[in-house]
Amino acid sequence: MASCSRLPLHPFLSATSARLVCNRNVQVEASTAKSLYPPILPSRTAKSKSAKRRVVTEFFEQLRARPVQEKIRALTRVQRKKYVIYPQTFALNADKWYQHYTKTAYLSGLPEKYTEIHSAPLIDESVLSELRSVVCSFILQEHWYLKKGRSFIQREQEHFVTPFLRNMVCALKNLPAKENPVLCLSSLDFDPQVNYYWLRGERTIPAGHRSGRIEPMRFQIDDKPHSQIRIPQQLPEFVPLEAEISAEVPVISVAPDRLPLFRRQYDNNIFIGAKLEDPCCYGHTQFHMVPDRFRRDKMSKRGLSDQVEVSLRANGIASLFAWTGAQAMYQGFWSEEDVSRPFVSQAVITDGQFFSFFCYQLNTLALSPRADGNNARKNLCWGTESMRLYERVTDGDIVGWNDAVLRLMLQFLLNKPQ
Amino acid sequence: MFNATVLRIRTPAFKITKNCKSKDCHSVLYTIPHGRRFLSTSSCLYGKILPRKKPRVVHEIAGLEPITYADRMHFVPGLAKPRFPPWDRGWKDPSHYTSPKLEDMPLHKDKPCYMFNQRTNALEGVRQALWLSKSVIVKGLPAQILTLAEDPANQIENQDERVQDAIKNSRMWDTTEIRPPRERFCPSLLHRLLHLCAGLQVSRPELAKRILAEKYSLAVTWRRGEDVFQVRGQNGLLLNSMTPVPVLAGEEQIQSTADQALETFYPIAPTIDLQRTHVYQEKNDTGFREGYPYPHAHTLFLMEMGNTPKLFPEQLRAKMVMFTFGNALARAQALYGKEPRVLEKPIVVQSVATNGRLFQFVVFQLNTTDLQSDSGVKNLAWVDEDQPLYEFAKVRPFIKKKVVKIPAGLSGYQPDTFKKFLALYLHGAA
Repeated sequence: MASCSRLPLHPFLSATSARLVCNRNVQVEASTAKSLYPPILPSRTAKSKSAKRRVVTEFFEQLRARPVQEKIRALTRVQRKKYVIYPQTFALNADKWYQHYTKTAYLSGLPEKYTEIHSAPLIDESVLSELRSVVCSFILQEHWYLKKGRSFIQREQEHFVTPFLRNMVCALKNLPAKENPVLCLSSLDFDPQVNYYWLRGERTIPAGHRSGRIEPMRFQIDDKPHSQIRIPQQLPEFVPLEAEISAEVPVISVAPDRLPLFRRQYDNNIFIGAKLEDPCCYGHTQFHMVPDRFRRDKMSKRGLSDQVEVSLRANGIASLFAWTGAQAMYQGFWSEEDVSRPFVSQAVITDGQFFSFFCYQLNTLALSPRADGNNARKNLCWGTESMRLYERVTDGDIVGWNDAVLRLMLQFLLNKPQ
Repeated sequence: MFNATVLRIRTPAFKITKNCKSKDCHSVLYTIPHGRRFLSTSSCLYGKILPRKKPRVVHEIAGLEPITYADRMHFVPGLAKPRFPPWDRGWKDPSHYTSPKLEDMPLHKDKPCYMFNQRTNALEGVRQALWLSKSVIVKGLPAQILTLAEDPANQIENQDERVQDAIKNSRMWDTTEIRPPRERFCPSLLHRLLHLCAGLQVSRPELAKRILAEKYSLAVTWRRGEDVFQVRGQNGLLLNSMTPVPVLAGEEQIQSTADQALETFYPIAPTIDLQRTHVYQEKNDTGFREGYPYPHAHTLFLMEMGNTPKLFPEQLRAKMVMFTFGNALARAQALYGKEPRVLEKPIVVQSVATNGRLFQFVVFQLNTTDLQSDSGVKNLAWVDEDQPLYEFAKVRPFIKKKVVKIPAGLSGYQPDTFKKFLALYLHGAA
C-alpha cells in the first residue's frame, strides 16, 4: 500500500527546506509558569504550523552545538533562487537599498579613532615621506617609465591601475610593519574570492503551486576585491556593541526586483578568501579597484556624475558586509546566535587617482526574518567621499600631490589588534 | 549541378587523403575499434575522390582587347569578365587593411633575423641557449648565494611554518571549489612567496628599493657568427632594483671561461625553432624610459601555468637563460653603447621560474658583449634545475587498493628550495 505519510525522521531531515524556514511568525514562547506536568509539546509530525515550528526550533537547537564547518554547510546547503548583489553595480542609488539589505547605518566621515588627533595612530614622518617617494615611483612607473602599448578597449584600469595597486599594497604592508607587527604575520591575497549568503525580509510567492505562501528572501554577494590583508587577531571595535547611534537604516518597502536585482540559483557560498583551516581568519583591509565601466569620466559621460559617490558607497557597504559577515560566520556566529563581539574591517576603493575609505563594524548577523523581530542592533559603516591623490602625470612628474590621502591610508594600515 | 555538388563535397575528402600518408591512414584504421565505422571519418578516408576540375584557362592575346561585360553591369555569356583596378576607399579603414607584400615593407632586409620570444620552444634547450648567448654553464647556484641561503640571520621567523601556510593557502584554501586550477595557484603561490620575502624589509631597509614591473617589453639585437639574433617581447614579472646585483664570478673565473669550448650540436642548426623574419628592426630597448629610478634588472619571475605546459622544463630553462641574457645585454648596451667589448663590470641578472611546484633557478652573468666569434671570454650561467618546493598538496587523499598512498594535505615539503628563493631575493641587499 502506498501511503503518503512521512516516516517519523523524515521531516527532521528536511527541516532546512524553505517551507519550514520561511515561517514568518515563529516566535517560540517560553513558558514562564511553573507547571506540574511536563509541557505539552506540539507533534513533530503533524501537518500544522506548530509542528513546523517545533521541528525548526529543534533543528536550530541542534545546530548550535555543531562545529562551524557543519553550521555553514547546513545553512548554505539548500539551493534556492536568490537575489545576487553585485558590489559594483550599475543600479542607481543602490546604497540605500544595500543598507537596507545588510541592515547597515551609514555615517559619513571616519570613526573617531581616525578623526580625533589624540587617538589617531601616530605616523612617523620618515615612514610617510618614504612611502610618498615609493608611491610616486609606482605611479610614474605605470604611467611614464614603463613603455606600455595601448591598452585594449575597456581594459585601461587593468593595464595601468592593477600593477600600481599591487605594488602599492605590498609597500603599504611592508613599510609600517615595524610599528604594526601584526602585518608581518598577515596574509596578503590577490584577487581573492569573498562570498556571503544570508536571509533578509520576506516576500509572498506570487505564482506557482506555492503561491500565496511567505518565504524569506535570500541574498548572495560574490565579491572579488583587488587584494586583501587578513590577520590572525581581531581588530578592535570602533564603538561599543550596544552604543546608541542616531543614524537610521533606511527602509525599502519595494521588492528588490525594482533596484533591479535578479534572482539566480547556484551554490550558496560563505567565504572570506580562505578556508576554515587558515589561521589568518580576521580581516584587516581590502583594496578594491573601480572597473573601467564605472570610472569617473565614463560615468560623467553617461550623465551620472551624481552617482559616482553613491556607487562607491554601495560598493563599500556591500563588500565590507560580505567580508565581515563571513568572518563572523567563521567564528561560529549566525543569525540565531548573534555576535558577542563586534567584527571590524576596512576597505579602500580606488580608481588609481581617487581614493575613498570605508570602515565597517558588524554588530549583528540576525538579519533573517525569524531573528530580526526585536533586534535593535544595527551594523555600522563609516565612509569618506573620494579624495584625489594626485591631479595628473606629466612627463616624469606628478602634479598636485595630496598627502592627506596617503596619511589616511597609512593610518588604516596602522590599525592594530589590542 | 549534381556534379558541382559532388565536387564540393568531395574536395575536402580529396585534400585529407592527399595530406595523410599511407602510414597515417593505417594508424587511423588501427585506432577504430572493431564494429564501429565512424562514417563521417571513414567515408572521406575511403570514398572515391574525383579529381579537382582544372580552372578554365583564359587566353590573353597581345594587342587584342577583350570585349567585357563591364558596361552591361551583369554577366553575359560569351563576353569576358572585366578586370577593374583595385578600389581605393579614400580613407584608412583598419578592418579592411591589406598589408603590402613583405618585400615592399620599409623594414624588409635581405638578411634574416632569428627571434627568440616568450613562446619559443627551443629544441635543444639550455645547450642552444648557451650557444646563442655564448655562455658557459655551471651546474648549481653560485657559492655566494648558497651561503646566503644557509645563513640563519637571513631567515624569516617561523619560516617553514609560514611557507607551508602559503603553499596551503594557494593550493587548497584559495577557493570555494575543491581545489584551484593551476592557472590560479601558480601566480598566487609566487606572489605569496614574494610577499613573505618582502616581509624582511623590517630588518633590511634596502629591500624597499625594489619594484615589480609586469608586461614590460624587451628588445635586444646581437650578432653571432653570420646571423642576426633578437630577444623580443613581453616576458614575466621583473623585479627591478636601484642598486646593481653584485658580481658573482671573480676575474680568474671570467678569464678561465676563455679556454672552455662552446658546446655544439652539429647536425642541428643553432637557429632551430627560432622565428625567422626578414622584416625586422634592429632595436635595443630595456622596455623602460630614460631616467628610470630602478634601472637594474634584479630577478625575472616566469611562470609556466597550465596542466599541459607549453614549455617543458628544459625549454623553460632555455627561455630563462635567453631572457636574463637579453635583459643584461639591453642594460649593457644602454650603459656602454653598442661597441662589442669585455665589460669591466659584469652585469648579473637572476631568474626564477615555477610551475607551482617545481622551481628553476638561473643566474646569468654577462661578461662580454663581443658575441660575434666563439673565442674569447664567455658569459656565465648558473643553472639549478627542478627543485621541488613540495611533493604533493592533496585536498583528498590518494587511495589505491584501499591503501592511502598519499595522505591529504601537504607532504614532502622541502625547505631548501625556499631558502634558495629567499637567497636570490636577498642577493644584493644583504
